[in-house]
Amino acid sequence: MRRLVVLVLILAGCATVADGPDYSALPRWPSHAIPQARGDVRALPDGRRQAVRYEGWTTQDFGRFRTYAYDDTRPEIPVSRALPPAGLAGDARKGRALFLSREKAPCTGCHLVPGADVWPAGSVGPDLSAIGDRRLPDAYLYQQIWDPRVTFPNTTMPPWGASRAFTAEEIVHLVAYLQTLKGPLPPEPDAERNPFTRRRPTGFGDNLDPTNNPAVVIAEDAEKLWNAPGPNGRACANCHDGGVTRAMRGVAAHYPKLVAAYGRVMSIEDFLTVHGPERTGRPLLAESAENVDLTMLIKMASNGMPVQVDVTSAEARAALARGKASFYRRIGERNHSCADCHTPERGANKFLGGRMLADVTEGLTRHFPTWRTSQGAAWDMRRRFQWCMTPLGANMLAADAIEYAELELYLTSFDNGKPISAPGIRH
Amino acid sequence: MSDIGKVRVRLPSSIKPGDVVRVRSLVIHPMERIERDSKGRIVDKKYLYINRVVATYLGKTVAAFDTTQSVSENPTFVFSFRATDPGTLTIAFHDTHGGKYEGTADVKFV
Repeated sequence: MRRLVVLVLILAGCATVADGPDYSALPRWPSHAIPQARGDVRALPDGRRQAVRYEGWTTQDFGRFRTYAYDDTRPEIPVSRALPPAGLAGDARKGRALFLSREKAPCTGCHLVPGADVWPAGSVGPDLSAIGDRRLPDAYLYQQIWDPRVTFPNTTMPPWGASRAFTAEEIVHLVAYLQTLKGPLPPEPDAERNPFTRRRPTGFGDNLDPTNNPAVVIAEDAEKLWNAPGPNGRACANCHDGGVTRAMRGVAAHYPKLVAAYGRVMSIEDFLTVHGPERTGRPLLAESAENVDLTMLIKMASNGMPVQVDVTSAEARAALARGKASFYRRIGERNHSCADCHTPERGANKFLGGRMLADVTEGLTRHFPTWRTSQGAAWDMRRRFQWCMTPLGANMLAADAIEYAELELYLTSFDNGKPISAPGIRH
Repeated sequence: MSDIGKVRVRLPSSIKPGDVVRVRSLVIHPMERIERDSKGRIVDKKYLYINRVVATYLGKTVAAFDTTQSVSENPTFVFSFRATDPGTLTIAFHDTHGGKYEGTADVKFV
């Protein structure tokens, strides 16, 4: 009898492993984010659909493609075989324009080709400067652009034809252009043009120096908010006494974590959206300046302390498994996963255009919220996630979505043991 | 977001009398950029940017800058001066709307 029980347990264990992460028993979570950060899509009077995003971001709706939502059970874009359409002659000039077009990929984001106007080229994919010398058949190159998964099932390259990002005719032009790329190559006049010889970015100096990082000044200012009573007469400082630096010392090291009261994983930002209004009556919507500034202030109280998120309890392991599955899940028009750009086996530490791709194994969250010199604003991890969704060609989720929280937990597990240093400063 | 006009001034932690010291300062300011219409003419309005920075020490002006809106948002100004006596270094940022934002740092010798 006992042997039977053991056998049943082993079988049950196998079954859960084979089925992947467990998505049951997660609460439905209404978003407490500002309207631009809820991932809403609205229908216009003419029937077109428009995505609601932050000011200055695209309003394009990518509803055709799957997202990170756990209840989005659509499969990734199916693998598709294709042959170049008969009777279509490729035009190498048009192909080159398409290769460089920022309206499209651009292909130069990952691949180097000759020309002083190729700037900035990336190094995620192979250098194509002399691909024509390899005498690959047109049909092979066509398939490689249409859907490279036919040849390389785990490729980081999107299926440009299968996703309808490029038309058949456009791919014929691209193939014609690639076939013209032949050696020998002239000497490179500018080492910076070539992503394989380009200098690595060195950063922006001391992120904790208030005369270097405006976010430090902004965060220190949030102390007013910490001390200001909300509509029901109470302030953060009433319960958490001794000043924010003392009261919040070490708190940030444990986030994101499972908060039992809400039955879900939460970052500090997520927690503030519900805890703030419950106690003070003041809304602290996700992605509002108040929420991000307070998060920075709270996180600064733990600066220098090692990150120690829970990765061992049963609940944490279940959440981590879901977060990891998201990290490797292919989504959007480009059929990309986070892992394509941010694991060292794939794109990490290589140039995507002019940007050096971050490496997940170094830990990417302990300097967030971070000042973005290119945006002139402090961004938390979630807005960074949402920003990633657009180049992926996927609709974003609400900033405080459980999916993002568990993905952030997975990323933060790589920060464990490393010192918090927030707010950061990045391009 | 933080209020306009927050100033931070930073001096090296240990200085000796007579040292030439490097000062770093930052002001939170939008440094609004000039806009042009479709014909390329400057849109007529009262732009908001810092146009004068003055640093005083021991009653004397030790550095002054005339700046334009082409300086970045939340700009950092770095300059050097000779620290001879204990006193207060004051940096004042003046903008085109008449705003004056000041930050100070104490010159102390150890």
